[in-house]
Amino acid sequence: MTDVPSAATATRAGVRLPIAPARIGLVLAIVGLCLVAGWLSPGFLTPNNLLNVVRQASVVGVAAIGLTFVVLVRGVDVSVAGVITVVATIATGVMNGSDANIPLAVAVAIVLGLAIGTFNGLLASRGVHPFILTLGVGVALLGLTQLFTGGTSLGNPAPSFRSVLNARIGPVPVLAIVFFVLAGIAALVHGRTTFGRRIVLVGANPLAARLSGVSVNRYVILAYATSGLTAALAGLVLLARSGPPSNFTGMGLEFQALAAVILGGTSFAGGKGGVWGSVAGALAMALALNLVNILGLPFSAQQIVQGAVIILIAAAYAAVRKESAGD
Amino acid sequence: MTLLASLALALAACTSTASPSASSPAGGGASSAPSSAPSAAASGGAGGGAVDVEKSCPTPDAEKAAAAVDTAKFKTDGPWTLGVSAGYLSNAWVAFNNAYVSYGASLEPRYTSVVRSDAGFDVNKQVADIEDMITKNVSGIIYWPVDNGALSTVLQKAEAAGIPTVNVANGFSDQAGITANAQIDNYINGRTAAAKLVESLGGKGEIVSVLPIAGTNSATLQDAALKCVLGLYPDIKLLDTQNGDWDTAKSKTITEAWLQRFPKIDGVYSPSGQMSLGVAEAFDEAGRMDEVTFSPADEYNGWLKWIAAHPDKNSGLSTFPTSVGKTAVEVMTGILDGKATTKGTWAGAEYVAPDAAAKLASPERPDDWWPNDLPDSFLPSK
Repeated sequence: MTDVPSAATATRAGVRLPIAPARIGLVLAIVGLCLVAGWLSPGFLTPNNLLNVVRQASVVGVAAIGLTFVVLVRGVDVSVAGVITVVATIATGVMNGSDANIPLAVAVAIVLGLAIGTFNGLLASRGVHPFILTLGVGVALLGLTQLFTGGTSLGNPAPSFRSVLNARIGPVPVLAIVFFVLAGIAALVHGRTTFGRRIVLVGANPLAARLSGVSVNRYVILAYATSGLTAALAGLVLLARSGPPSNFTGMGLEFQALAAVILGGTSFAGGKGGVWGSVAGALAMALALNLVNILGLPFSAQQIVQGAVIILIAAAYAAVRKESAGD
Repeated sequence: MTLLASLALALAACTSTASPSASSPAGGGASSAPSSAPSAAASGGAGGGAVDVEKSCPTPDAEKAAAAVDTAKFKTDGPWTLGVSAGYLSNAWVAFNNAYVSYGASLEPRYTSVVRSDAGFDVNKQVADIEDMITKNVSGIIYWPVDNGALSTVLQKAEAAGIPTVNVANGFSDQAGITANAQIDNYINGRTAAAKLVESLGGKGEIVSVLPIAGTNSATLQDAALKCVLGLYPDIKLLDTQNGDWDTAKSKTITEAWLQRFPKIDGVYSPSGQMSLGVAEAFDEAGRMDEVTFSPADEYNGWLKWIAAHPDKNSGLSTFPTSVGKTAVEVMTGILDGKATTKGTWAGAEYVAPDAAAKLASPERPDDWWPNDLPDSFLPSK
């Protein structure tokens, strides 16, 4: 798990660590969560369950990948749930039960996600408050979905789309592989390309970026477009995993994705953080939910425990970050 | 980490399964022909036992539903304007229910216009919607609530203005302001599903329960029905209850956790086909289909397609009629005509045997579809 190299990797002893100390808090928290869960429930630490957790985290995780770029440029995108729902719904309709329609459905999903993200980026780059903007877009998308479908889904997913993506290669769910491949690509883009470096620069110091000749607005738009793209892919992941969604299915996913990004260490202040951190954040939340499911806690308790884990991880992250800032 | 462990231990000591009071939206349902009395649910128990489930677990509110309604004060000649206040329209069941209301109104020429509103799960908006209908002086209001309790005042206002109200697709309620009910009986629906499940298991085994959104009428009554039936079969153990929220994805996630937690699950109680679909997928992906029996569920098309493809797992249906919307219009017409009407008119739930259940599937239709006899022009979507 590496992000853009920074001085944070240096310790007081002058030794460079492969992982920024601030991230260690999250990793330790996840390991600790797994150990506690394994102690409380024998079934938790089985490979099958852990891989299932990764699969369960894939919808939120894929959405969080693109959302990371938005937060890196000091933005926020809560239209994610609306994009997921509308894309899953439209992709179902385009597939209409035929494998031959899969490429078209995927293409439509990608174009739709990019279009919505670009729209968000265009307005955000011109000063519209991103939270209000994307909240409005998300609500409008859910309303459009309702208007379009009349409350019922249209068509059926293609049989192979679900059967292939829900399969396993050996013990590993295909959706888990898809999740990590997308994360890997995004991490490479973030860490190894000019685009990624400029995203960091725009978020860390927009004035410096502008003075350096970097078009801040362009990279804000591209960040939101990336978020729209990954939200659309998350919609396809949802469709593969669970079939056509209801209007309820996407609700709350935007905040889960945002929590994954923040838990993973990407800062609202911009310029700091990375994709692998968001992946870890998504896994942490999925682990917490899985634990409470396995313990058979009532739903209200599940929400409490999930919130408590988020607070504990955030506290661990803050404590380690404070320590590393003092180095 | 110590804090986390302590928190988890403390919460693990909490009792599982909590179903708050009734009221609130019903949500997913099904359709069948209306009848004036509770339809017969599965009677008899497991393995040739003499348990009369229907008698031992009677429908709550049956007597109240049989009470007569004073319709004389609402009698009016046509033409009529029908008000339809939807608490929400965001799932396929209510979409079909709404379509049946439209269809029912079209069959009665005295309904010359229909005023509609959708509150989108916003109870304050639904209050405002009904107030608007009162201002427009509609002849009658058919509604399904976000929250019946919150609507009490405005419904009384409607009755005071001479506008009768019919609560549709929700549980029975004799709350002030509700003139009559055209209801789905979640209790009968749940009782049928539970009785057939325990019968299929021979009166023994360990089961799990998936309920709709916590606190809804559906969840509360289905849970109550299950508990009553299980009380008659002491050799059936309820391992856990969770709320699948009428959501396939959530039900699948819950089941994946169950499959890790419980080495063996003999049966699943899930009167909602939409949730049963997610549960079944999880069992299938875990390679544990052979061990489990599913309760009858409703006629959600996705579930119908699944049981048609898996005949060995087909336990039949416990219907949940979307045509209750048409029943509501018929009840309203009777009220406006000043005819004798009872406080509650039941629509469903009937048990459909496996062979007949499989034939109801429409493979070419979406999963989000309900069997119906609506003319094409009234279908929610094609």
